[in-house]
Amino acid sequence: MTLRPAFLSRGLTGRQQRAGMAFALPAALLFAAILAYPIFESFRTSLYSIDLLTGDASFAGLGNYSALFGDAGLRSTVVNTLLWTVGSLAGQILLGLAAALLIDSDWKGMRWVRQILLIPYVVPVIATALIWQWMLDGHYGILSTNLQGAGLLETGVSPLGQESTSLWTVILVNVWRGFPFAMLVFWARMQSIDREQYEAARVDGAGAWQEFRHITLPNLRSAVIALLALRGIWTLMYFELVWLLSRGGPAGSSEVLATYIYKIVMGEFRVGYAAAIATAAGLLITVIGLIAWLGTQLRRRTNG
Amino acid sequence: MAKVWRVIALALIVFFAVGPLLWMVLSSLRPADQLFVSDPSLIPSGFTGEWYREVFASDALQWFANSLIVAVFATLISLVVGTTAGYAVTRFTFPGRRLLLIGLSVGYLFPAILLLVPLYLVLSSLGLVGGLTGIVIAHVTITLPLATWLMKSFVEAVPRELEEAAWVDGLGYFRGFLRVTLPLLRTGLATTAMFSFILSWDEYLFASVIAQGDNVTAPVAMAGFVTSFDIRWGAIMALSTLVTIPVVVLFFVLQRYYEKGLTAGGVKG
Repeated sequence: MTLRPAFLSRGLTGRQQRAGMAFALPAALLFAAILAYPIFESFRTSLYSIDLLTGDASFAGLGNYSALFGDAGLRSTVVNTLLWTVGSLAGQILLGLAAALLIDSDWKGMRWVRQILLIPYVVPVIATALIWQWMLDGHYGILSTNLQGAGLLETGVSPLGQESTSLWTVILVNVWRGFPFAMLVFWARMQSIDREQYEAARVDGAGAWQEFRHITLPNLRSAVIALLALRGIWTLMYFELVWLLSRGGPAGSSEVLATYIYKIVMGEFRVGYAAAIATAAGLLITVIGLIAWLGTQLRRRTNG
Repeated sequence: MAKVWRVIALALIVFFAVGPLLWMVLSSLRPADQLFVSDPSLIPSGFTGEWYREVFASDALQWFANSLIVAVFATLISLVVGTTAGYAVTRFTFPGRRLLLIGLSVGYLFPAILLLVPLYLVLSSLGLVGGLTGIVIAHVTITLPLATWLMKSFVEAVPRELEEAAWVDGLGYFRGFLRVTLPLLRTGLATTAMFSFILSWDEYLFASVIAQGDNVTAPVAMAGFVTSFDIRWGAIMALSTLVTIPVVVLFFVLQRYYEKGLTAGGVKG
């Protein structure tokens, strides 16, 4: 019996382990330096009251966290963030599903239609934001002027510029940008559905709706869950699109957590408080993720 | 009849997806007297290159060069480090492997905004705020987890026996990796490079906080354009077209490989 770890031994296992560690070393160091350490720093910062302008820093304990509860702006921001996430995901999934059903055919040229439909997803977000801002411009934008002409919008107003519509407009743009991804995931999943199931259903006299309802939809379940989990986290904390389209305004009507944190750092320089919001949000996401993960594990166990 | 409805629905969805982009390109070519009218016609009666001339006469080339430099370096670093790490976790067992995998998943899912404050503090204590190096490092926090994740799945697809034969032939682990595995990872490397590049080219949040003066990347500079009082939409649409073209061209050139990258989250958010 030796207590020497295997990676120090001379045998084959030792050599292989050393090789593995050598290959992993650069990534391990980088992860530690640019992810693990900053995350730890974030937590530490959240315990301090820091003003970047004056350079003052004093230990605040959990003061930043208790301040979260008295922050009225934060409360409406959380509501907006939930609306933004649910609205974006619902729109992306529904439109993505419709698009996937439409491109799921062997018509000639369908490959190109699929490619073209994917473009909004790779367009840089800055271009996305600027295009929509231009189309929604209150004076010269093609969408706004048409809406104004139809009497749906007051003259000279942009849907991004009024409190009642700003959040929904930002959500619409996010649906534009995100639905191709959902389409791709659904379409890829549809390709692996056994075609015999459809033939059998047709023999039994099932219509298109029944085929969709009883064969396609159940087969897409896992894809929907994966989409909701991944996109859920990213949409919840997505910064760029909202910021570039509306800056969270007007009057905070489209403010989400990400833009709120950004404003506190860049506008008010209250770094400690921003770190507290970030840490709390991170913890919340982790807890929700763990619960979801445990849920699927339990389900798997009871089913199998 | 069902077929007709299907074509109509498909046309509508394609129009929804592409219409805004066509409008962007048309607007970038539209003369000013047709741009700023309250009832714009769909097709302009004449085209102009004045907006592009205006853009190229400004600092735009500098911004695009900055974006290119940042994206290339962030991609190179992520590619080298991500490939070796992806190779390590699929081919070897070693102490810390699980920890690395957990770190990888966390890094992959971690929203950038939550990293903003600590990353800024770390970079500023290193004196890297303001320069392109700082932006590259910040972008690596986004591109590296994706690159590692993608390369891991590509290494898994390479048959192990080939390397084992090389090891038996006395090639050694490192040379075996270089000569046997790496050539087989070409498509994987191309896909990963493309998505790392797109992520970095696209990134606004970190760059907006770190970039200063001449070192702004294209998205940051473009965002600054709109806040000014006199909004020059023609020039802005020309810039938007220019920033979009490289990405869409890459996307079409490498279309054979995109699916894996896209579904792995090649574009976050």
